[in-house]
Order: sequence, then structure tokens, then C-alpha cells
Amino acid sequence: MKVICDRGALVESLTLVSGVVVSRTPKPVLTCVKLSAKDDALTLTATDTEVSIHLSTPRVEVSEAGEALIPADKLQQIVRESTDPTLTIATKDDQTQIVGQDSRFKLLGYPAGDFPDAPTFPDDADFEVSAADLHRLIAMTIFATARENSRYAINGVLLERHNKDLTVVATDGHRLAQAKGKCKSLQDADRSAIIPTKALNLLLRLFDDAEQTVKVKVNDSQVLFATDTAVLASNLVEGNFPPYKDVIPKDGDKKATIPTDIFISAVRRAGLLTNEESKGVRMSFSDGGLVITSRAPEMGEAEIKVALPEYTGDAIDVGFNPAYLLDALKVVDENQVHLDMKAGNKPGVLRTGPNFLYVVMPVNLQ
Amino acid sequence: MPIRQLPTLVINQIAAGEVIERPASVVKELVENALDAGATDIDIAIEEGGAKLIRVSDDGIGIPEDELALAVAPHATSKITSADELEAIGTLGFRGEALASIASVSRLRITSRPTREDGTAEHAGVLEVDGGEVRGPSPGASRPGTVIEVRDLFFNTPARRKFMRSAGSEFGHINDCVQKIAMVNPDCGVTLTHNGRKVQDLPRNQTRRDRCVALMGKDIADALLEFERTDDPSRGSARVWGLAGMPSLGRATTKFQHVCVNGRPVKDRNLQHAIKEAYRGLMPPDRFPQLVAFIDLDPAQVDVNVHPQKSEVRFRNPSYLHGLVLTALRQRLLGADLTPAAHVRSPMSNARNEGGTALAAPPNIEHRTSDIHTASDFVDYFRRMDPTQKGFVYQEVKKQLKEEAPGAVSAEDDAFEQELLNRQAAASTSHPPPTTTHQSILQVHDSYVVTQDEHGLVIIDQHALHERVMFEKLRARILDDRETLESQRLLVPEVVRADAARQAAMEDLQPLLARLGIEASPIGPGEVAVHAFPSLLFSRNVKVGPFMEELLDKADGGAFDKIELGDAPGGTDAQLPEEAALHEVLDMMSCKAAIKAGDKMSEQELASLLEQRDAIERSSNCPHGRPTTLRLTLKDLERQFGRS
Repeated sequence: MKVICDRGALVESLTLVSGVVVSRTPKPVLTCVKLSAKDDALTLTATDTEVSIHLSTPRVEVSEAGEALIPADKLQQIVRESTDPTLTIATKDDQTQIVGQDSRFKLLGYPAGDFPDAPTFPDDADFEVSAADLHRLIAMTIFATARENSRYAINGVLLERHNKDLTVVATDGHRLAQAKGKCKSLQDADRSAIIPTKALNLLLRLFDDAEQTVKVKVNDSQVLFATDTAVLASNLVEGNFPPYKDVIPKDGDKKATIPTDIFISAVRRAGLLTNEESKGVRMSFSDGGLVITSRAPEMGEAEIKVALPEYTGDAIDVGFNPAYLLDALKVVDENQVHLDMKAGNKPGVLRTGPNFLYVVMPVNLQ
Repeated sequence: MPIRQLPTLVINQIAAGEVIERPASVVKELVENALDAGATDIDIAIEEGGAKLIRVSDDGIGIPEDELALAVAPHATSKITSADELEAIGTLGFRGEALASIASVSRLRITSRPTREDGTAEHAGVLEVDGGEVRGPSPGASRPGTVIEVRDLFFNTPARRKFMRSAGSEFGHINDCVQKIAMVNPDCGVTLTHNGRKVQDLPRNQTRRDRCVALMGKDIADALLEFERTDDPSRGSARVWGLAGMPSLGRATTKFQHVCVNGRPVKDRNLQHAIKEAYRGLMPPDRFPQLVAFIDLDPAQVDVNVHPQKSEVRFRNPSYLHGLVLTALRQRLLGADLTPAAHVRSPMSNARNEGGTALAAPPNIEHRTSDIHTASDFVDYFRRMDPTQKGFVYQEVKKQLKEEAPGAVSAEDDAFEQELLNRQAAASTSHPPPTTTHQSILQVHDSYVVTQDEHGLVIIDQHALHERVMFEKLRARILDDRETLESQRLLVPEVVRADAARQAAMEDLQPLLARLGIEASPIGPGEVAVHAFPSLLFSRNVKVGPFMEELLDKADGGAFDKIELGDAPGGTDAQLPEEAALHEVLDMMSCKAAIKAGDKMSEQELASLLEQRDAIERSSNCPHGRPTTLRLTLKDLERQFGRS
């Protein structure tokens, strides 16, 4: 294999791909990135056996097609530190030479055949969605995933498709975020999948061009996302997602409308006087407005007043973890949020229009 | 068989069965008699564990020759005259049984030279009793005082003799008994020899503290905390004084606890419980502190006439004394720096042994001062003792520190200085005294924290200390401020398996769980649902399921059952069972939530952990009683590096 690459394009591609590469693994080939030169394009492939990425870049000149398997971190460091506009990468057996104007690196790699086969995108995509929409759906929910949980498969995001409707749900047992969007259906079958958080974080970086269209395919054990130049494949999280529709309350009769910016600022300030053991802030809603108070033992107290444009229902006191509220308020893309509540020990529902909904469980305050 | 009156000898032998159980009982009775006779020096000589000879010589008032025969008669005593005096007994003996009992089971010889009221001595008299058969009295020769020799104990009661243990074991009991008595009589000199070898040599007119230290072992003197408390007369005018061993001196039995009431060594479960309670959380539950406690109270408040050997007493108001001892000890322990010293074998002493001086000295000669035989041993001993070890540097540092930090608790043994420091510390509570300054902190193997304080090098078990810190915080919040812990409700309840017994145990625990912020209810056979869980545990990544399972297992296993208080009900202890159960659960919570060994900590985290160590009480031990901190003192280091 011999290719002359645009260094800038190579840095960009390597940065995206190396997000998959694991640094500590008993299988050394997994610390590598695979280079494949063919048809005037260089494709970079990396996998951790759970998630894999193919990314091809046309900004190369292929003088000899072929493959190479090179340690990802060294390749990335060399390419990043070099100053030449182009670099020549040539492979002979398991050795790879990277040559610049005044430099020559020789890297010991592995036989390209040792690399696990990364799945390729099939011809029959389930649906298409704009990268911008996909981005929004993921960003509005991914923060609510659990890091680990034994009982339900909630360390990932649930993706459900019904005809043209996409629903994305994430929860960690304390709160639940749900975002809705539209897609272009290519196949009739309704599918749902729980996608691991790592894959989604990579996806957010990989498909950051809002103009792109992403094709999606879900099969029994994998989900694949593809654009013209990139494919991301991920194993699914096995197990059941909790029955999320049941935990979304619909009987909240105390309804507040709060300007988003003011709410963020107030919650953030009240949250200053909370600590590890005393995380909750008390929110007192009434016709007169909202009063947020917090108290941290051995530290102090805070009280923030918020005027409410709209409030219906009886007065209510409820405690929430400010971090949970802020997580959702940060991704909200509207000027106002609606908060529906029922009682001090019942969940609150934060919503903006029909496309975003967030259930947050209260904390029992002292 | 017709009924008949038993001969006196048999009556005495039966009584001897109660009073004279083993050689140690003889020693106890004889030494107490000597003390009641006003002795200022008592020599005790034992041969073959007391089986062959027990000789107690005193310099007391003596017994006139014409009273000698009466002394060995049953129910004859000079100590009381009427039943009224039983109400307030001032002497150790009073039953008039001891000598008669001893005489009936041994060959007894009393030689006594009494002192007249004008101070001159009468002539001496000798009385011999051989298994109850009295010979004498006849004139004899002796220095002023009384010598009682008991030979061939139990020679005429073979059953008793058979039950005697080895000489070493019996002598051990004698030694314990002599120690107990010597401890409460520091004015009286006591020597004890076994087979001609001197075992105890206690000079007369020692202070109470010196006497106790001499008996408990000089090597632990630095680790004894003096405590004292006098209640005002309105509450009962009792006074307790004692020396409390640091938790690191814990022993596997209560044998090293000496409780004395009005100068009488006693065993009392109630007071033992008070001691145990004061050390709660400072020691593992199967360890017991080394301690002496002297309680002085109005003799009318205590009944000593409940046990033939007088080792048990009965108090008019047991829970009051329980409270007194508990408060006195607890206050002392809370104010003290309980960090144990790290034990490091001295390479220097080994090096010197091997270093060609050709000495066949036993390796631990430091502790065996009486075993120095040869001149070269002596020289070597002093060399290793390092007479100059209290060197210039250390003294200077110490002095400086005392000037700078009057509140720092010193582990020195000067009681007055200690008292002064304590008072200064107490006086300046408005602005806390400058405590330990940690100049550099190092985390070792992500498990231990090493730093320094004014005494030397400090090694901390990060998990144990953090556990204690969390525990104290939670305890203060829940017990002192009566607050409940904040809890986070769950979107979907966490289901935990729990059989009927565990469900029942959980129902009993409900009030406790509510205060801890855990909301759980049974949702069917074999399962409980957890609806809310403390925020604190969530933020420390404690899993709901395993935690609840362990909690219920413990509850089912009886870990939180109310703890019986022995014979000290009511009074100050009313809230104790609840406190004990909470202690258990909080202990579990803090253990789960604390930093684990192997967790990397940032510099700020380390600094804040050490800061909290200074701020909380009982920081020397984790709630299970294991130590959190070890100290290698400058003195140790200097010795180790041979910089003396």
C-alpha cells in the first residue's frame, strides 16, 4: 500500500476514529487502526468489538492499493505533530513508513488480516433521518442514561421507530428524558433498539454535518448508521428497557410555566448551597410565583424568587435535585418550559411543546 | 443415720469450701488481714504455687498472745462488734471466718508480736494449728507485726487438693490477687516472692498513679489516660478516678480491667458495661480496654456483704454509677489523641547483637530489667536503652510546640501538665486551637495516606478514616439534630428479594429506615420494593439492591436487636438500644459510602479528609473499632536511624 495524504484530513479522520480505540486491552490489534487504500480513497477502521467505525476520506492519492494495521495512538501523534501539508504512507509487510519532507517514521504494525471484520452497511436501510434531527434527539436524552444498572437495560438510549415517528428515551432510574422526531421510512417494520452511550457519543461527533442524511439499519443484535463517507456500527444493549410509558404521569394538575433562562439561573444559584448529602432544593409554587430554597448542613441557605408567567392549581412544595433539572434545561431549545406536578412525593414533568418531555423524581426533603 | 451436731473441724472445713477455694484465696484473706492490722509493708512468700508454703509477714499492730487462740476460732473477729456496723463496713474483712477456715485445711502457724498503745512492743507469741488441732500459744521471737505461715494447704481435704492446678497456674492467680490488692493500697509496700524469686517489689507510699502504672506495666505508661470526675453532692457525691488505656491496648479479656469500689477490687457487670459503652466504636467488639477505675462513694450506698469472697458488691443506685463512669471515660476519650504508635522492630538493636560484641543476650532484654546478670549484659543494656535518647532536638521541638499550640493534646505522662493543657484547651474553645498542620500529604498505593504532625510520621488508612468521618457526620445529623436524611425517589421501584422473616424484620425497622431516608414496602411474597433511597448513597454510587439485601440480612440475623443492658435499666441508658441499632445501620452506610482502598484521591480530597480528621471525634478508630491512624514518632525514627 502506498498513499499520499492530505495531513489535515488525516488528522481529522484519525481523531474521530480513535475515539473507538481502547488503550488497554489484552488483544493488541484492538489498539490499532486499519488503513485501506482503494479507488482513490483511504478508509480508516477501528473497533473495540462492540462499536466500530469506518471513515473514508477522498483527500488522498492512492498510488498502490492495500491495507495496513498500525497502532492508533502513535499514528495519530505522528500525524498531528508533523508540519508537512502532505504525508506519504507506505507499507511493506507489517512495517509502515510515514514520510514527510524532513522526516521518516517506521512503525511496526500487525498483519491486516488479524483485524476483526467490521460490519458494513447493508443495502436495505430501515429509515433515513437528517443528521441535525438525529443530533437533537440524542443530545436531548443521552444525559439521562445510567452509568450502570443491573436490573434494566438503561445504560443506553432507547430508539423506537413507528412509521415516520422516532422516539428516543433515556433514564437512570431517577429521571427520564424523551425526545420525538420524524424520519423518512424506507421499510415498514417497526423496530426498537437500546444503543450504548459510547456509540451515541461517537455518533454525535461523527455526524456533525447538519446537511447530511443518515441511513439507519437495526437488526437483532446491531444498529448501523451510515452516511456516504462513514459507517458506525454498534452492538445493542441486551435486556429490557423499563416500561417507560407507565412512569410518565399524566395527572399533574399543578401547572407552571417558567421562562427557561430565568429558571436555569435560579436553579443554578439555589444549587450552590447543596452538597453530597443534601442535594435537593425546595420549590414552593403558588399563584404568587416560585420560591426556590436550599440548605446545606454546616454551610448555609439560599432563597431565590422567580416570577411565574402562568400558574394553575393549588400551591405545592416539592424537592428536586437541581442537577437533574439543569441537565434537562440545558438541552431545551425553547424560551419557556412547562412543569406539571401532582404532589410533593410524586414526579414532576417538564415539557416543551410535543417533542420533549422529562420526568424527574422528587427528593424527600427534611 | 441419726441427726447429730457436726464437729467444729467439719463445720470449718465446710466453710473453708466457700472462702478458701485455692491458694490465692488464702493469700487474699491473709493480706487483707494484714492491711486491716495497719501494715505499711507486707511480704508475701510463696512456694510451689502455694501448695507447700504461703507466708504473709506484716508490720501491723499484731495479736496479743492471749487472743491468738481466739483468732483461729470461727466467727471471731476484732473488726466489728454488732450488726449495726454491717451497714457501713470500713475494714476489708468482717466475717470472722477466714483464719478458722484456713486453719482447718492446712498446717497454720501464727507468730505475732503486738505493739502496745504506747508504741513499745510486747513479747511475741506463737500458735500452731495442725488441721484444726491447736497447739500453743507459746512464747516466741519475732519483729513487731504478724507472720502467718500456711503449709501443706488442703493436706486433709484430698478432693480439694486434687483440684489444684499446676504451681505456675496457682501462682498466676496469687499474683493477680496480690496485684488487685496492691493497686488499691499504694501506701503499703508489697513484695511477692515465688520459690525465692522476687516477682513484685512495690515500695510503700507510692501515688495511686505510680502504683497503677507499676502494676499495669511501665511500657504502656504513655498510653494511659488519666480520668477523673466528681459529682456534686446533689447527685450523689461519688468520685471516680482512673487510668484508661488507649484503644490500641485492647485485650481479649476483661482481666485487665480493674474496678475498685471504696478501695475494694470488685467485679461488676454494670460497670463493665459502662466501660464497654465508653469505648464503643473505638475498639472491635471482641476487645476490651486495659483500665483501672477507682470509685469512692458513701459506704452506705454500697452493700459489700453479698459474696463470701467479697468480689461482688451491690449498689443502691447502679444506673447512677453507670452514668458516672460512662461520662467520665467518654469525655476523656473524646478529648484525647488516640493514635496508636506504629511498631517497628529496631534494626539497631539487632545490628548490635550481631555486631561482633559476642553477647548472648536475649533479644528482648529491654523489658526484662530484673534479668540482667553479667556486667557486659548491663553495659549492653544501657547502650541499647540509649540514656541520651531524650535528646536535645526532641526536647526542643516539644517545648516549642507547647508554646505554639497550647491546645495540642500531649501524650506525655505528666499529669499536672496534662491537666493544665486540657484547661487551656477548654478555655480557648471560642477559637479552636491550631491543630495539626499537614505540610505534605502523600497517597501510597491509593490506599494509605502518609503525612506528618508534631509528633512524627502519621499513616492513615483512607477507607477507615473516611468511614469514621462519614459516620460521625451522619450520627450528628440524625442523633443530635434529629434530622432525617434526604432521599431521592425512584422512577421505577427497585425490587429486592426478601423472605417473610426479612419482611417482618424490615417492618420492625421502618421508623429507623424513615429517619435514614429509605422508603421500602413489601410488594408480594418474597419481594420488597424500595421507593426512595438516600441521596448520599446515590452520590457515592452505592447500589440499592445489594445494600438493602445486606441490611435485611443483618436485621434478620438480629444485628439490630435491642441490646440488653444487664442490670442497669432505665435512667441515662433509656435511648441506648435505639442508638445501638442506628449505630449499626449508620456504620453500614458509612462503610459502603466511604472511599475504598484503591481509590485515587486528588490533593484537595486528601487535604479535606485530613482536615476532617482533626475536626471530628473518635477519629483514631473506624466505627468497627479498627485504627484509622498509626504514628511513627520522631523518637522512634531517631532510634531507628541511630541518631541518638
